[in-house]
Amino acid sequence: SLSREDFQRIPELAINPLGDRIINAFFPEGEDQVNFRGFMRTLAHFRPIEDNEKSKDQNGPEPLNSRSNKLHFAFRLYDLDKDDKISRDELLQVLRMMVGVNISDEQLGSIADRTIQEADQDGDSAISFAEFVKVLEKVDVEQKMSIRFLH
Amino acid sequence: GTPPSPSGTAFEETRLHVFTLDYPHVQIPFEITLWILLASLAKIGFHLYHKLPSIVPESCLLILVGLLLGGIIFGAEEKSPPVMNSDVFFLYLLPPIVLDAGYFMPTRLFFENFGTIFWYAVVGTLWNAIGIGISLYGICQISAFGLTDITLLQNLLFGSLISAVDPVAVLAVFENIHVNEQLYILVFGESLLNDAITVVLYNLFKSFCQMRTIKVIDIFAGIANFFIVGIGGVLIGILLGFVAAFTTRFTHKIRVIEPLFVFLYSYLSYITAEMFHLSGIMAITACAMTMNKYVEENVSQKSYTTIKYFMKMLSSVSETLIFIFMGVSTVGKNHEWNWAFVSFTLLFCLIWRALGVFVLTQIINVFRTIPLTFKDQFIIAYGGLRGAICFSLVFLLPPAVFPRKKLFITAVIVVIFFTVFIQGITIRPLVEFLDVKRSNKKQPAVSEEIYNRFFDHVKTGIEDVCGHWGHNFWRDKFKKFDNKYLRRLLIRENQPKSSIVSLYKKLEIKHAIEMAESGMISKVPSSVSLSDYHEGKIKPLSPTEMENMREILTKNLYQIRHRTMSYNRHSLAADASEKQAKEILIRRRHSLRESLRKTNSLSRERPVLAFC
Repeated sequence: SLSREDFQRIPELAINPLGDRIINAFFPEGEDQVNFRGFMRTLAHFRPIEDNEKSKDQNGPEPLNSRSNKLHFAFRLYDLDKDDKISRDELLQVLRMMVGVNISDEQLGSIADRTIQEADQDGDSAISFAEFVKVLEKVDVEQKMSIRFLH
Repeated sequence: GTPPSPSGTAFEETRLHVFTLDYPHVQIPFEITLWILLASLAKIGFHLYHKLPSIVPESCLLILVGLLLGGIIFGAEEKSPPVMNSDVFFLYLLPPIVLDAGYFMPTRLFFENFGTIFWYAVVGTLWNAIGIGISLYGICQISAFGLTDITLLQNLLFGSLISAVDPVAVLAVFENIHVNEQLYILVFGESLLNDAITVVLYNLFKSFCQMRTIKVIDIFAGIANFFIVGIGGVLIGILLGFVAAFTTRFTHKIRVIEPLFVFLYSYLSYITAEMFHLSGIMAITACAMTMNKYVEENVSQKSYTTIKYFMKMLSSVSETLIFIFMGVSTVGKNHEWNWAFVSFTLLFCLIWRALGVFVLTQIINVFRTIPLTFKDQFIIAYGGLRGAICFSLVFLLPPAVFPRKKLFITAVIVVIFFTVFIQGITIRPLVEFLDVKRSNKKQPAVSEEIYNRFFDHVKTGIEDVCGHWGHNFWRDKFKKFDNKYLRRLLIRENQPKSSIVSLYKKLEIKHAIEMAESGMISKVPSSVSLSDYHEGKIKPLSPTEMENMREILTKNLYQIRHRTMSYNRHSLAADASEKQAKEILIRRRHSLRESLRKTNSLSRERPVLAFC
């Protein structure tokens, strides 16, 4: 099984702004080790969506790489306290990670406000999962969150 | 009486000259320096107007300068200006460019796509050469054009030299269009490999032209020759690459001349291969690719930077000189114009290239896991620019065997000018046109940029996780062999394994702490912004404020790590991303330390946000 240190040793991940969050996503709640099965479960989110899946089982659980599950994966990267809402604070943290040092806090704050404003529909100044999905309905999530695993 | 004064004939003494002018003494180095200086000044001139290089590729501008110069010389002296000497081109001007391309070649991506690259380079070039040759022969048979004296072999030879896609020209144009990595490595690799094919075919057909009869055994000898030339060149390159790596193992006492070894060994591989009539280009590419890994770890950081910069400088100068010479050599009396030949040559070049790419892609897509799309094919086909190599090859034709040599020269020049100017300038708008048709433009929201970048970072991160643990049989075997034998032999001990690790080491903790104290990193949103929020509703923004926000974001969002730096003849791309990497690393170190401090001082709290 893999531990956090194994992931941190990947040099490219060290300079990825969201590196820590991505590493966290592999580990289930509160654990420090992930086995192969868990590892593959996380990676399975990134399988490309195929239209002609013969075994389209309407009654069974949704496959991990469905659009909704991909979005859920991304949502979880923002939502650290797992309250199913992205608060302004959580958004600010992610923004700060993605942005250089030349942006002041005030500017970042107003950008975060704007982002929430564009997504928020029920006026609670936080982004729920449904609102998150709605904002991204025009984004080609399937393409952006898919990786071809076989080279 | 007085002695006769010395008469004013043979033995008259000359007084001491205070000031003399002795041009013949320094003529050759003086002229060389002037040419290079002129080329570099021209480059400064282009970049004065900053939009110019993005609309018109530099190669076009340089040719124009050359034309201007050629015109001046022609007008002043009423004779043809100096034509570029083929020896000078092949021995001095071409190696730096190929060395530069080979040294900065991303080896892993190259080998992953090696099959496709090889397929396009070998089969594609053969297809083009033979296709163009035969169709031109067909045209020549039509007596109305007055070309019937050109034989089939001559046409084949012409076809082989004009099908050489030129790496110099292609890469100069590709910078502008931001292609994806796959495509970039395909065209890059193809243009390098196909030079070997071209040279082999060229020499083959040239010897055939000079032989009276051609037996079947000669054709087989030709095929065997191709393999020997290619593989022999590569072997020489690899051998000398290993010797170079081995040498640098012992150079830590004489750091100052470390870069010299890199250049000497690679040039040695080129001329050794040329001596045996093997492919010098393959040799120098193989040498550079072999050397790269090991030398990078053995030499000091300063030497490494010196090597990179010097290589760029040499190849930049070479490229500039080549294009200027092309312009200069165009002016003059070397031409014979024949409408049919020239226009059909151009037409066939375009048609056969497009057909070739299309057919080959259909076949190779069956074997690839990531098929090439129509847009990719278009870029590959349209990006097949011709340049200096065909130009030099055509000048090398022996006029005794080729009475219509001037016709060939004219045709080659027309094709080069067309591809470099017209295709070079229009490829960018065409690609944008193809792209725009797919996506639908709507007013983008401020947050969209954030989300897009967010997804891209996540995707790259996961790709890195996979790539790190992805397995490939041959690569693993090579890595094992490498670690067990080669690295032990070729690398000095105690070297950090990757540039990221060495970057880590360079950031002293003290320095990082200093930066953190000075407020560079703020984890918690400052109270100012918090109070803003609590006070009132979020007010809707005016369009200018939106624009401002979007601008701030575009400028400041971190770039996604690119696996391959986009190849740029004219600059070393690493600086911006290095700065970004430093910032991210400092921040993570800081937060790592913060969280360690927290978990140490607190009692068993669930380490939820251990790494935030």
